Amino acid sequence: MRVNAGNLKKGEFVFFQGEICQVQKADFYSPGKGAALMKARLKNLVSAKNVEYAYKSNEQIEVLDVTSVEMQYLYKDNENLYFMDERTFNQSSLSISVVGEITRFFKEGEKMFVYMYNDKPLTIRPPMSVKLKIVEAEDAAKGDTVSGAKKPVKVETGATVMVPIFVKVGETISINPETGEYTGRV
Amino acid sequence: MKIVTQIKNLENYKIYLQVEKAVHGFMEKNNYLKVDLPVLSPALIPESYLEIFETEFNYFDKKEKLYLTPSPEIFLKRLLVAGVGNCYYLGRAYRNSEPNSDWHSSEFTMLEFYKLGINYLEMAEEVLKLLQEISNKVKNPSFAKATEGKQKLKFDRWEKYSVTEAFEKFAGIKKEELFNEKLFIKKAKNKGFNIDNTGYEDLFSQMLAAEVEPKLGVSGYPTLLYDLPKQMASLAKLNDDGLTAQRCEFYINGLEVGGFCTELNDYKEQQKRFILEAKKRKQNKMIDHTIDKGFVKALKYGLPFCTGAGIGFERLVMIFSNTKSIDELKLISIK
Repeated sequence: MRVNAGNLKKGEFVFFQGEICQVQKADFYSPGKGAALMKARLKNLVSAKNVEYAYKSNEQIEVLDVTSVEMQYLYKDNENLYFMDERTFNQSSLSISVVGEITRFFKEGEKMFVYMYNDKPLTIRPPMSVKLKIVEAEDAAKGDTVSGAKKPVKVETGATVMVPIFVKVGETISINPETGEYTGRV
Repeated sequence: MKIVTQIKNLENYKIYLQVEKAVHGFMEKNNYLKVDLPVLSPALIPESYLEIFETEFNYFDKKEKLYLTPSPEIFLKRLLVAGVGNCYYLGRAYRNSEPNSDWHSSEFTMLEFYKLGINYLEMAEEVLKLLQEISNKVKNPSFAKATEGKQKLKFDRWEKYSVTEAFEKFAGIKKEELFNEKLFIKKAKNKGFNIDNTGYEDLFSQMLAAEVEPKLGVSGYPTLLYDLPKQMASLAKLNDDGLTAQRCEFYINGLEVGGFCTELNDYKEQQKRFILEAKKRKQNKMIDHTIDKGFVKALKYGLPFCTGAGIGFERLVMIFSNTKSIDELKLISIK
């Protein structure tokens, strides 16, 4: 689909210098002299490297029509994450560096959506929230009752999350995987 | 669009007020006259890169088009010609067709000030003093931080780069390539920029935004980028090299906060530029506003030797409140 670069949005996919990239950030920027720009941070989905680019906001660019397929997350090794399409039993893999920080909240066996372009997996569509059990937490220090006080806890995937001090081991919490923030108890 | 109440931004807004107070204090101490100005004007300076807001005055059968001012320049320069002396405006400015983004808001606050008898580099020292004053007066418990390294931002000196040095260091563009339009466009093409229907000015802005700006003002000091190519500063006095103009921009945390130039006191050049810009506006099917002929008349009378500085006030406050977007400063936001 062709769009004005000025309408480019975070999460969309474009070709940049012949390779597929995902828009990490897109901000309108008018230097006041010369054309208005769309400043974009593009992540190359092969090398996992970010590149900064500035489109003219009225420049026509091709946003790729991608599909998302529900898959089961199987496991990971040092480099890749492995998924299976439960209808076809086809397996796919994605590089951890491409998917990024968010992988620390992935639990084996969970269902996720994988973006596909021409039958090739690109990256994960981040879930709005993930629900994970707390496996390690210190008890809140006595007297520490200031509202908003937080403590670090470890969840079942091994990631560390800051939570309000009243949250305890064994409880399941919801987390926004993109920001890593605690959003509530389940 | 809708109206959104954002009381969560109260602490940021309080810093906004502190910065505002510090600016007024600095200006008063340094004998700049505070000038309140209209934001509705019956005529404007034609600018091909700024779209405007148009409205109408109505009284029975009397109707007249009015425009929200995209900058206070139109009024301040008249006053300078009339002999007001050093002066400043801190107030609203409006730019249409600029969607809200982290660094943009179609309704925003502009600090514009003029000092007589100094050039752009002397103005750089003045701006530095202003930043120091704000830094001393604003009480933000988490202080103004550099995004890289998270150290406290210091304002006791500039990190300085000429545009030539900055393009060589951060974009690998040599001086002979930077000022030769053909060579520059070729270089941009090799870097992957789309050069179709795109001229030198646009490609310069694109490369500056993509490759140079993210590296400016990130070392813990504000960065002064000076001597822009003359094509990028049509209202600034030219340097003796014939290639660059006496214009600077300054950056903090990769963001352009403001700019200033030694004002070109040449009404013929201004008039030429007006005609060209008005033509471009027509070609681009932009709002056909009344052109302010009185502005040219005033310049013909004679603008005193001075340097004018423009600062995006919300961007300035973003630095001192460690916020990432203009919206985080607003208690009421239209979005």
